[in-house]
Amino acid sequence: MSDASIKIVLNNVSKHFGKVRALDAVDIAFAPGTLTTLLGPSGCGKTTLLRLVSGLEPVSSGEIWFGDENVTNLSATRRDVGMVFQSYALFPHMTVEQNVGYGLRILRTKPDDISKRVQEVLEMVAMDGFQRRYPDELSGGQQQRVAVARAMVLRPKVLLFDEPLSNIDSKLRRSMRDDIRRLQQASGITSIYVTHDQAEALAVSDEIIIMRNGSIEQQGPPQALYHRPRTTFVANFIGESNVVDAELTGEGTHRQIVFGDARVDVTAGMPIADRKGPIKLSLRPEVLEIRPFENTSSSPMLHGVIVQRAYMGPVIEYTIKTRIGALFTRGPASASQFKESDEISIHIQPENIIIIPENSKA
Amino acid sequence: MKIQTQRQPGETSPWAVLSWLLIAITAYWLLPWTALEYGLGDFTAEEWVDALGWKQVRSTLVLPILLTLMIPLAWLRISAKISGGLWAVVPGLALGALLIGFTATETSMGLGATVIAICLAALFAVGMAELGFQRGDTFIAGAVIFVIFMVSVFIFFPVGEIFNNVLFDKAGIFSPFQFFRIITSFGVGRVIGNTLVLAFSVGLATTLFGLAFALYAVRATTRIRYLIKVFYILPIITPPFVVGMSLILIFGRAGMINDGLMYLLGPAGLLIPEGSPGLFERSGYIYGFLGIFLAQTLSLTPISYMVISGMLASVNPAMEEASLTMRASRWATMWHVTLPLIRPGIANAFLLGMISSAADFGNPLVLGGEYDVLSTEIYFSIAGAQLDFARAAALGIILLVLSLSIFYIQNKWIGKKSYVTVTGVETAGNVTPLPRGLQRGLTLFVVIWFFLVGLLYFSIFLGGFVKQWGADYTLTLSHHLELWSKGLESGAWPSFLNSMSYALLAAPLTTLVGVLIAYILTRKTFYGRGIIDFGTVLIFAIPGTVIGVAYILAFNTAPIELTGTAAILIITMAIRAMPVGIRGGMSALSQISTSLEEASLLQRAGSLRTIRSVLLPLLKSTIVSSMAYSFIRSMTTVSAVIFLATAGTDVATTYILSRVESGDTGVAVAYGSVLIFTMLVFTLLVQFTMGRARTDKQVKTI
Repeated sequence: MSDASIKIVLNNVSKHFGKVRALDAVDIAFAPGTLTTLLGPSGCGKTTLLRLVSGLEPVSSGEIWFGDENVTNLSATRRDVGMVFQSYALFPHMTVEQNVGYGLRILRTKPDDISKRVQEVLEMVAMDGFQRRYPDELSGGQQQRVAVARAMVLRPKVLLFDEPLSNIDSKLRRSMRDDIRRLQQASGITSIYVTHDQAEALAVSDEIIIMRNGSIEQQGPPQALYHRPRTTFVANFIGESNVVDAELTGEGTHRQIVFGDARVDVTAGMPIADRKGPIKLSLRPEVLEIRPFENTSSSPMLHGVIVQRAYMGPVIEYTIKTRIGALFTRGPASASQFKESDEISIHIQPENIIIIPENSKA
Repeated sequence: MKIQTQRQPGETSPWAVLSWLLIAITAYWLLPWTALEYGLGDFTAEEWVDALGWKQVRSTLVLPILLTLMIPLAWLRISAKISGGLWAVVPGLALGALLIGFTATETSMGLGATVIAICLAALFAVGMAELGFQRGDTFIAGAVIFVIFMVSVFIFFPVGEIFNNVLFDKAGIFSPFQFFRIITSFGVGRVIGNTLVLAFSVGLATTLFGLAFALYAVRATTRIRYLIKVFYILPIITPPFVVGMSLILIFGRAGMINDGLMYLLGPAGLLIPEGSPGLFERSGYIYGFLGIFLAQTLSLTPISYMVISGMLASVNPAMEEASLTMRASRWATMWHVTLPLIRPGIANAFLLGMISSAADFGNPLVLGGEYDVLSTEIYFSIAGAQLDFARAAALGIILLVLSLSIFYIQNKWIGKKSYVTVTGVETAGNVTPLPRGLQRGLTLFVVIWFFLVGLLYFSIFLGGFVKQWGADYTLTLSHHLELWSKGLESGAWPSFLNSMSYALLAAPLTTLVGVLIAYILTRKTFYGRGIIDFGTVLIFAIPGTVIGVAYILAFNTAPIELTGTAAILIITMAIRAMPVGIRGGMSALSQISTSLEEASLLQRAGSLRTIRSVLLPLLKSTIVSSMAYSFIRSMTTVSAVIFLATAGTDVATTYILSRVESGDTGVAVAYGSVLIFTMLVFTLLVQFTMGRARTDKQVKTI
C-alpha cells in the first residue's frame, strides 16, 4: 500500500432507472490499497455500482467519497479513475502507443514524456515493443494488457475492472488474473473488480462483496465468506454447497443440532446463540466422507443411497439420496469406489459443519 | 430521474461565455437588425445602416447594454444554481422577447437579429448546463438545444403554418370546417383515390420486381448478377422526372413505339395496302396512370431491391440447408423457409414503395395528363392562377397524414417482426441456389429490364443530340450549345451553378445536423427528447411537396422571411437530405460501443474532445458517404424546391422542368443527360476515393 492509496466510501447510495431500483441504499467502505471484488449474479447491481463509482452514471441519492473528497457531483472526467472495460474499449483507430498515451495527450504532457511514460506502463504489462500495433492486430490477451496499461497510465486514485477476464479463454485467464493482482498490489491503487465468477473472485481479492437484488448480501475476506457464509445465497454462490434443513433441540448445555440421522452437540462459538427450532446448514462436498454402510449411531453420520456417479478423471462425483435430501460429494477415483444404488454412510466432522445464521426467511 | 448537478460553481469556461457575449454585442452594432429590402445580395450602405438595431427601434438598445453588463458575471464565482439560473433566465427571456417582438411588429429578422438569437440560445444552454441539464455538459446541452431550436423553426413551425392556413380563412377568421369543405369539394375525392390506387399498385410492383432482383443478385449463379449491384446507383443519380421524360421519348405520342407502329400500320404504312385507311392512330396512352406507374416502378424498384436483398443476404443458410436435408425441394424450401424469413423485408419494401410513390412529384407532373394525384394537385393549387393556399394546405395535410401513417406502420409493426438477426456479416459462400426454372425465368426478366433501362437512358442521351424527337432525327449540337455556350449569365449555367453551390453548402450542413441528431437519439435520454424524436419522424415522413407548401406559408412573411433567398433553398435541400445523415449516423453509432466514449471520458477527455478524437475518426466514412449522398439528393431534388426557386435562384431541376413545360424537350433531355453524367462521375469518384481510403489503415472491427 502506497501513501497515495485512498479509501472509497459509499454512503446510503441508491440508483434507480425509471421504476427499476438497481441499487438500494448501499453503504460500503473500500479500504485503501485493497482490491475488492463485487460478486453476484447478473442484474444484482454490481456493474451499476462500479459505474456509479466511476462517475459514468450519476447516483440517484447518497454520497460517494474518495478519501476526504466528496466526488458525488464530479463527472467521470474529473474523478481521477482508471477503468478496464469488459470489451477493453481500445480505440480501434489508434495504435497501442496512442491508446495508452491518450489521457497524457489530453493533459498536454510533453511528447517525450508521453512516450517514456507509455513505455514504462507497457513494460509493466509486458507489452513493450507493441507500440505501433493497432488493436485489431493483437490477440485478446494482449488487448487486455493494453487496456490495463491505459487504465493505469495516469496513476489514478481508483482502478475499476468490469469483468475484465470474461472475453479471454480459460487457459489464459489464470495468468491474466495473477498479473492483474500483482500490478494492483505493486501500485497500491484502491481497486474494485466486478465479476460473476466466484473462483476468480476468491483468487484475486482482498475482500469480496456478494451482491443480490441491488443490495449487499455479505462483505468480507474470501476465507470468511467461504467458511462463514451468513446466508444460504452466499453459501450457494461461493464454492459448492449442500444446504440442508436442521432442527435445534434441547435446552441449556444439552442443545443439539439434528439433521436426518445425525446429531451434533452445540458448542460455544456456533453462531446460533439461543435460537430454537429450524435452522439451515451448509455441508461443503469436501467435508462429506463416504464409507460403506455401517449400522452404528456414532454420530454425526448420515445414511443414504448413491443415485448417480460421474467419472471426472482424478475424482468421482456422487449424488446421494438421504433423508434430508440429495447431497453432492466427491471421492477419489483411485480408492475403493462405490456403485449406483450402493447403500453408504456419510461421516462429517462437527467442526466442518457450517451453520447459516440467517433467519430461515428464504 | 432526478437531475444531478455535476457542475462545480463557476466551472463554465468564462472565455466561451465571453465569446458568445461579444459575438452578440458585435452583431448588434454592425449587422442589420431587420431584413434588408432586397436581401443580402443586393443592398446599399445606406440601407444597411438604416437596418441597424438602434436606428430601427431605440428600445432594442437594452439588449447590448444587458449583455455588456453580463460580461463580468462570467468570472464571478458563485454557486452553480445562482449562476446557472442567471444564464438560463436572462438570455432565455431575451430570446423570447426578441422572437415575440419581431412577430408582434410583423418585422422580418435581419442577419444581426438572427446571429443574436443564436448567441442567446447558446448562453441559455450554458445556463441550463450549470443547472444540471445533460449532467452539466455544456457542449451536449448546447447541441441538444441547438437541435430542438432547428427542428422547431424548420419543421414544427412550417408544419404548424399548414394547419394554421386550414383552420383560419383568408381574412384570418377561425373557420374550423374549412378543411372539410375543401376535402369534400369537387374532385378532391378522386385525387385522393388516384393517389392511393397508384401508391398501392406501385408498392406491389416494386416489391415484386425488387424481390426478383434480390433473389437474382443474392442467389443466382450467373454472371449478370454482378450488374445488378451497379444498377441501383442509376435512380439515385437521376432526377426523378427524367425517367418520365425518357418514357415519353419511347412511348409518347412522338415516341419510338408510336413511330414504329405508324410506319408499319398507320395510314400509308408499310403493311397497309395503298388506298385503304390505316389501322393505327398515334396515341397518348402513356399519359396518365400507365405512364406514372411505369416511371415510378422503374425508378423505385432499386430501393425495394436494396431493402429485400439486405435481408435476404442475412438469412442464415443453415436454415435452408436444414430444410433441404428434410427432403424438401428447392422450391419448397424457397416457399416455406426463405420467403417467410424475409417477409418483414418484403412488407417494408412494399410500404416504402407506397410512401415514395405518394410523395413523388416529378413523374406525375411530366406524365400525369388527366390523372391528378395529391402531390401535383398541391402544386397546381399554388402555382396556377388560383393561389389557393388553404386548398394546398388541406391537401398537404392529407398527404402528410397518409405518409405518416404508412411510416408508423412500418416502424411499429415491422420493426418488431424481424426473424433475421442482422449481424452485418454477409454469409459468404455456400448459399442455397435457386430452383433451376426460377433462375431461368429471372435471367430473362433481368435481361429485359436491363434492356429497357438501357433504352431509356440511351434515348435521354440521344434526345439531346437530335433536332426534333419524333419528327427530325438529324444529329445536332444545337440543344447543348444553347445550354452551355451562352455565357455564365444565361442558358443552363446559372441554374447549374446554383444547384452545385446550394448542394455543396447543404451537404455538410445536413450531415452535421443529421449526425448530431443520430448521436442524441442513440446516446442521450432526457426530458424533452420526445421533441427531437417526433421532429425526426416528421423529417423522415414528410413529402417534398408538403415541405414546399409549408415553407412558402411559413417563410413568406415576418418574422422569418426567407422566400426568394438562396438560404431557403439550401435549408430545403438540407432538410430533404437529412434522413440520409440521420440513418447513416444511427447505424454507424449503434455499431460503436459506448464503452469507447466512456474510456475516453475516464482518460480526462471532455465530451467535445471525445467526439472529436474518438467518434469522428470512427464515423469518417459515414460522414463522407452521407455528404456525398446528400449532395446528389440535393442536386436531383425537385418536389420541394419547385415551390421556392425564383428567377434568381433557379436550380437545375426546376430549369429543366420549365423547359419541359415550354415544350423544349430536346433542351430538357440534353440538360438532364449532362446532370446524370455529372452525378455519375461524382459518384464513381467518391466510391473510388472511399475504396482507396478503406485499404489504408482503417477501422476493421469495433
